Amino acid sequence: MKRRLGAALAAAAASALLITACGSADEGSDGSIVLKLVGADYGTGPEDSTAKYWQGIADAFHAQNPSITVEVSTINWTDYDTKVKTQLQNKDYPDILQGVFYPQYATNGLVAPLSEVMSNPRAGTAVFNEAFSVNGVQYAAPFTTSARAMFYNKKAFADVGLTQPPATWAELETAARALKAKGYIGYALPLGPEEAQAESTLWMLGNGGGWQTDGQYTIDSPQNVQTFGFLKNLVSAGLTQPNPATYDRTANASADFAAGKVGMALSGPFLTATIASAGKLGKSDFATAPIPGRTAPVQQTLGVADAVQAFKTTDAAKGEAIKKFLDFALADEHQLAFAEQYALLPGTQSALDSLKDDPVLGTFAQLLPQTVQFPSDEKWTATVLPAVKKNIGLAVIEDPARVLGDLQAKATAGR
Amino acid sequence: MQPNVTLAPPPPPVPAEPCAGRRGTPRQRVWAACQPLAWIGPAIVLIFSVVLVPVVLMFRTAFHDIDAVGFDRGFVGWANFEALLREPSLAAVVTRTAVWVVVVVTATMVCSLLLAQLFNQRFPGRRVARWALIAPWAASVFMTAVVFRWMLDPRSGLINIFLHDIGVLPELGTAQADWLGRPSAALWWMIGVAVFVSIPFTTYAILAGLQAIPADVYEAAVLDGASPWRTYRSITLPLLRPALLVAVLINIMNVFNSFPIIWAMTAGGPGDQTATTTIFMYQLKSSSIAESAALSVVNFGIVIVLVVLFLKAAGGRSQVQS
Repeated sequence: MKRRLGAALAAAAASALLITACGSADEGSDGSIVLKLVGADYGTGPEDSTAKYWQGIADAFHAQNPSITVEVSTINWTDYDTKVKTQLQNKDYPDILQGVFYPQYATNGLVAPLSEVMSNPRAGTAVFNEAFSVNGVQYAAPFTTSARAMFYNKKAFADVGLTQPPATWAELETAARALKAKGYIGYALPLGPEEAQAESTLWMLGNGGGWQTDGQYTIDSPQNVQTFGFLKNLVSAGLTQPNPATYDRTANASADFAAGKVGMALSGPFLTATIASAGKLGKSDFATAPIPGRTAPVQQTLGVADAVQAFKTTDAAKGEAIKKFLDFALADEHQLAFAEQYALLPGTQSALDSLKDDPVLGTFAQLLPQTVQFPSDEKWTATVLPAVKKNIGLAVIEDPARVLGDLQAKATAGR
Repeated sequence: MQPNVTLAPPPPPVPAEPCAGRRGTPRQRVWAACQPLAWIGPAIVLIFSVVLVPVVLMFRTAFHDIDAVGFDRGFVGWANFEALLREPSLAAVVTRTAVWVVVVVTATMVCSLLLAQLFNQRFPGRRVARWALIAPWAASVFMTAVVFRWMLDPRSGLINIFLHDIGVLPELGTAQADWLGRPSAALWWMIGVAVFVSIPFTTYAILAGLQAIPADVYEAAVLDGASPWRTYRSITLPLLRPALLVAVLINIMNVFNSFPIIWAMTAGGPGDQTATTTIFMYQLKSSSIAESAALSVVNFGIVIVLVVLFLKAAGGRSQVQS
């Protein structure tokens, strides 16, 4: 009996040891440096995974700098937030993180100022400088960007006898009525969680509204309530697709537009890629126009940027390696290759300038320098944005003033 | 023959050798006390590491301020619970959860009682039918829910096409066809799916209960001239009590904690209008992990209260063992 107990205890101890025995390997002792790069995946499957894009850059970089190896991993956008948060919570910091810039990275002292990790920290499109700064210090560079415009289906417009894209809300409503009569979805309104914030911003801009006024949240301002009241009327008149609050940008709106079912939609350059791969609409079957506003088209549209940032390191050699790699990776050729592959705009000004006359991206490249950005304070990323994604779609189904008021209350609550 | 089998130690040692007895007995006693540990030790370690540690961490998180990127900014008292109570949709979510649990469990129990009765009869193909019932149980719940979501697709869903063909649905692709986009309709479809996946386990639990009822009780009832309905009420149902209690208890907990069905079909949307407290907890996670933990603590409390109430109602005895 005694022996058996001993054996049991030994087995328990052994298994406990096994559980804790999973150590981790660190960088080599021979002076070689391993950089960990974590990025978002912009692809739709294994063939066009962004991991391939990064691996190409990493291999080219390694060929030039044999002592530095860049380990690449990408995370699907759907899981991006959760996985990155988990990594950070476990203190498993990447060296370079591409995707979302949270001001909390800077206030928690995790990321290094851009001036320390790039030879030319001003290379990025200047319009995003403020959004990527905390207390006047810029921590991230724009990696890929987009500007938004209205897409309209020229085929459908011709079908219902329209020649001009609408410039005002009233014209948009009239056009949507005509399109609906012919069986089209007049206007695609994706207020589902995926990117409700972009769709909302574009409509708010059309009425002189926005998320903030002079740095204070004014989500339930009279202009915004009026804006969502107008959208609610569109929805209840059946001029949009049903149930906007569950209708997402990529899976629904882009797919429906590319399938030729939609008359008008607000979107970015990436929609051209969806249209091309669906093969239903030819290059001349659709066109872009300025975002319609209540009384006149929107002068400054929405610009969106995804960031690239470097985590602080105490190892000087590693810091040098990070700088070398970022300079290499953000060179024009790589930026333009990315832009072309995913139909997005580049993050650096020089790459953007070279696209001014591009047949597909040119319009958007010209819009980008004068765009408006999302708020970038800690409150926005931590509390407001998740609440907006989840709930703002309800503002076109229920009482707009109440839904926007609830969001405003979240935005101005104590913590 | 062993008339008296007990785990008690053998009678005390011979009084002629008191010293030897005293030296041996305590050690034997300690040994006897420790011996079970060898057997239940692994279970205790397991329970401690996979049940208690997460519970403690959950409580800890609920009282801490955790920022958006996961940094712990220290103890904040009840602030997360206060934030939770300020959520405008909390009342609606709690009410919906009550409806969800009551309707799903009631419907499951009624359907399963009928099915178990059927499967307890002899009929050709019974074996196949019993096997078939396992299918929704054997399939992953998440997968089942995703399949239903696609069957309810407003334009090309199988269910919608069928409803269109039989004339219930005038037009595909309309708001009416988008069942999962309308909160009121979505909730009922999801209740349907929840009942569908809960029925197999419940039916088998009841079927086992039915088969455990001795045949002689029924023979006696027949001799006494009881009607089938009277037999069912006075014999079957009372004798099924232990099985029914187990089934109801497990179903309540399962349905209350159910995540995959709602998550796969609507993710609680639009907004949080089809969210139960479990889904709402997950939705809160995107904006505040600590507030989400506060709701987890509340959910945890609700489950404990439910179980205690239920065991009380069951007569104080733990019926789960039967």
